[in-house]
Amino acid sequence: MTASDTKMTDNRPFAIRAYTPDELRGALKRMYLIRRFEEGAEDSYMRGLIHGTMHLSIGQEASAVATCMELTDDDKITSTHRGHGHCIAKGADVGRMFAEFFGKETGYCHGRGGSMHIADVKTGNLGANGIVGGGLPIAVGAALSAKRLGKSDVTVCFFGDGANNEGAFHESLNMASVWKLPVVFVCENNQYGMSTSIRRSTAVARISDRAAAYSMPGVTVDGNDFSAVAEAVHLANARARAGDGPSLVENLTYRWRGHSKSDRNRYRTKEEIEMWMGQDPITRFRTELIAHGITDEAGADAIEAAAVADMEAGIAFAKASPAPDVSEVTRYVYAEV
Amino acid sequence: MPTEVILPKVDMDMTHGTLAVWHAGDGEIVAKGAPLFDIETDKAAMEVEAPATGRLTGIAAKPGEKVAVGTVVALIYAEGEVPGSAPAAPAATVPVPDHRADRVPSIQTPAETSRAAPAPTAPGVLAKDATALRATPAARSAARKAGVLLEGITGTGPLGRIQRDDVPTGLDAGPDKPLPQSWTPQPGPLNVRSRKGSGPTLVMLHGFTADSQSWAPLEKAIGSGPALIRIDLPCHGRSPLRRITGFAGLARMMVEAFDEATRDLGMVHLLGHSLGGALAIAIADIRPRRVVGLSLIAPAGLGPEIDAATLLGITRATRTESLAPWLRRLTASPDMISDSYAEAAMRARGDGAMRAAQADMADAILTDGTQTFDVQAALHRLTAPTRIIWGRQDKIIPSRHATAQRTDAAIHLLDGAGHIPQMECPERVARVIGLGGGSPL
Amino acid sequence: MNAVPQDTALRTLSYAEAIREAMAIAMEADPAVILMGEDIGVYGGAFQVTLDLVDRFGPDRVMDTPISELGGAGVAVGAALTGLKPIFEFQFSDFAMLAMEQIVNQAAKLRYMLGGEASVPVVFRLPSGSGTGAAAQHSQSIEAWFGHVPGLKVLQPSTPADAKGMLLAALADPDPVMIFEHKLLYKMKGPVPAGHHLTPIGKAAVRREGSDLTIVAGSIMVHRALEAAGRLATEGISAEVVDLRSIRPIDHETILASVRKTGRLMVVYEGVKAFGVGAEISALVAESDAFDFLDAPILRLGAADAPVPYNPDLERASVPQVDSIESAARRLARREV
Repeated sequence: MTASDTKMTDNRPFAIRAYTPDELRGALKRMYLIRRFEEGAEDSYMRGLIHGTMHLSIGQEASAVATCMELTDDDKITSTHRGHGHCIAKGADVGRMFAEFFGKETGYCHGRGGSMHIADVKTGNLGANGIVGGGLPIAVGAALSAKRLGKSDVTVCFFGDGANNEGAFHESLNMASVWKLPVVFVCENNQYGMSTSIRRSTAVARISDRAAAYSMPGVTVDGNDFSAVAEAVHLANARARAGDGPSLVENLTYRWRGHSKSDRNRYRTKEEIEMWMGQDPITRFRTELIAHGITDEAGADAIEAAAVADMEAGIAFAKASPAPDVSEVTRYVYAEV
Repeated sequence: MPTEVILPKVDMDMTHGTLAVWHAGDGEIVAKGAPLFDIETDKAAMEVEAPATGRLTGIAAKPGEKVAVGTVVALIYAEGEVPGSAPAAPAATVPVPDHRADRVPSIQTPAETSRAAPAPTAPGVLAKDATALRATPAARSAARKAGVLLEGITGTGPLGRIQRDDVPTGLDAGPDKPLPQSWTPQPGPLNVRSRKGSGPTLVMLHGFTADSQSWAPLEKAIGSGPALIRIDLPCHGRSPLRRITGFAGLARMMVEAFDEATRDLGMVHLLGHSLGGALAIAIADIRPRRVVGLSLIAPAGLGPEIDAATLLGITRATRTESLAPWLRRLTASPDMISDSYAEAAMRARGDGAMRAAQADMADAILTDGTQTFDVQAALHRLTAPTRIIWGRQDKIIPSRHATAQRTDAAIHLLDGAGHIPQMECPERVARVIGLGGGSPL
Repeated sequence: MNAVPQDTALRTLSYAEAIREAMAIAMEADPAVILMGEDIGVYGGAFQVTLDLVDRFGPDRVMDTPISELGGAGVAVGAALTGLKPIFEFQFSDFAMLAMEQIVNQAAKLRYMLGGEASVPVVFRLPSGSGTGAAAQHSQSIEAWFGHVPGLKVLQPSTPADAKGMLLAALADPDPVMIFEHKLLYKMKGPVPAGHHLTPIGKAAVRREGSDLTIVAGSIMVHRALEAAGRLATEGISAEVVDLRSIRPIDHETILASVRKTGRLMVVYEGVKAFGVGAEISALVAESDAFDFLDAPILRLGAADAPVPYNPDLERASVPQVDSIESAARRLARREV
């Protein structure tokens, strides 16, 4: 990180200035890994290998990866039902993620959680959440722990545009602000709460406008622009770590796929979807890296191929993994003594 | 490699979908993202887009066909790719793992798995007293332990409910039902001896004063084929002594023992002699779905007459000399009962408490020398194939009890045989029940 | 008194004082223990249970929350998930309904959803019960609701000693624990061991031995049952009174052993009779070997099938009282049911 002392004359995007070429190539790799992971999961789902449903974040990769860019394993995140990207961005292993999706004992949740509760506590991911807004108060609690225990960790709370109309949103942002807690609220506004558009559900034009009600900074950025997201979250993290309290960052983005695998897509036009597919955050970031000489076409292709290889190895690991023992259906309800 | 076109899972609980219509034909060029086919699920129709651009080949599912999720229904070859073989027909599909309810393990509590079958609430012969009786679980448990039947007890609780203190236990008998002092009821289940074998299992119920060993001659004639389950009646053989106050209670005990002994088996064939024959009819009436057929040898319960003097004589006898004359009435020819046979029979009847218990039992079901129980209605209700075997020279129960029945049962009258044809001419009995010549039951 | 070692000395304390003592002991011993709730600071809590603790431990550890039950409970869950041991006071147990999401969907399930990788050692305190004239929304006994939730532990202390011992045991427990305190018991005095006194979770207590019938009761109903049993003893009826203490986990063995001994069972509880604690205990007995020892139908005495009324006569009549327990027990013992 060298952002704070960059020269005024440096007109390169924030991310190019702030991160090393290795860090940037690593970010591109994680974005490809999220995309390929979710495509692989979707394919496995359609083949009937995955049970239940899943919520894909294809098209939102910049938001996940750029937001987690400066987080360590001690920093926490709370995630959402659309949480595969957050999990990978925070450092999870895709093999154990696939294993969880396949319901295997080697999965992150030992087959008890599945896609909607994917978590990796060791890398600071407190879990995806099946309840809209469920993670908001929990993130505030994690930030309270950090403050009380005298740590400088931040907690990033991912939530969607739908959650901004839950009561938990109001209660959580208010308490975080009252107690000046180190939490960064990151709203991934993909513009639809299931089928209901933000215009039809939310009284303010920008969700970040609501920050004013809680006396915290609020900013809306292009969520498909890696550098814009990274910069906004960088500032929010700095404020949190300095003890100045929470911030609200709104990443304006779009999910290419339906809400879940049951979505028949009756509420969006093909034109709208195609317009957003033209704003592919991965393509944009790749182009940016090549333009600034961080990598070249061949290098980017190699990064993508490495992501595909990781994904395929992950599926192979998951397929070969053992299923949980059905006699252990009540295991993990309580602590084992 | 061509791109596989699969029937996708589009709903949480979907395992199959019906292919409604193809929007492109075999051999046509399709563009990635263009509508390729429609599927219908239980809930809705949905359009599926082409997963790749190229030539659609090897369509393997026709409109209207129901296809498992994950099945390859066509292939798309990119430009320049050489088409290979078409995908296999849907029959040989990718296996769909089924994670749903039928795979969820059923979890039984230990209580569920260890509890005995509930006391029979029987239709047919037992219906009358089963519906009228009220007793608390504690009273039922005390009665079971004491070998006492609840039917004879007056309940002092609300609605005439029998409570624990109403049940006489051991010597502490209730005032209105004086109990003989010469024997004490014993706990525990009825004695069951099983022999493994093949084909349908034969459940064998012996007659009054006999025991499960009395089947030995017939078993020898049958050979080593079928599996055998022989049950000793209460107060007989190695079964515990129990207080029997009527046929219904006795039948209830036998149904309980039958359920326990045949718990893990399919349907069984019942073979009963005399009192055991009447009990076989009662069991088949209560458990019709467990019984594939019945063979009844001189069954009791089909009429009032019986030579009770002989039976009481057998129960009373304390030495070979007094036993042998009664035994000789059981067979067509008195010569069949040798002195050594009578001696062995007396040794088996050496237990005075057992004799006393059998005497009480005779008093309860053969009151005043009469068969006080009647299983004729139950016999007529039987749906399983039934054959009745009777010795023409039976001096204990007359064979006309069988011939007078208006029944579909096959009736075999064996000339030269008395009340115990299974001992007098075991090979003939085995042949009649279909086991002598190796043919199935 | 001087001969008794300090840490086992019995002092006479009220139920509220015993709870306060437990909180103070825990906060002295472990800086991770914090108190959260509405008006628990200088006000001392609606029932004065936390009185003066803010002076001793400061407002950072005795935190007044906004009137935000969902958010507040969720913050406590998140804090518990990340290293603190919060004791969260609902002002009235009725208000826990505002926080059902965080209690039932989050606190109770996180360990399981995350395959045993997370622990939520939060303690919820819930002033509960009728008899204060506070009517329908401030008088309920909803402990049985939480008995239905795997992952929670649900306790009901009836004495000052247990009120202290259960709170300290709950803090030592790695899973979420809900303690339903009866408002009418707060002023009740009784002997309380000094020091770090623990009441084992999941163990019922036989408060009075008897041979004719078993009365299983919880919370304030224990005292009413004991009084009824005392009156019946003068008629020669010997009632055994079992203090349930823990609804989840429930102490099968103590209940079944008592039923095997007496053959007659009555369950007395303040929650609505239908689908309550009585149903669970009756079913436990019916499913067990103790069934064979039942010599009469099981009786349940619970609250009327109505909201808790305001009028004092109606309020009294709506829940089991000493008289109604006495007459029902007499009928059961005399074989009139």
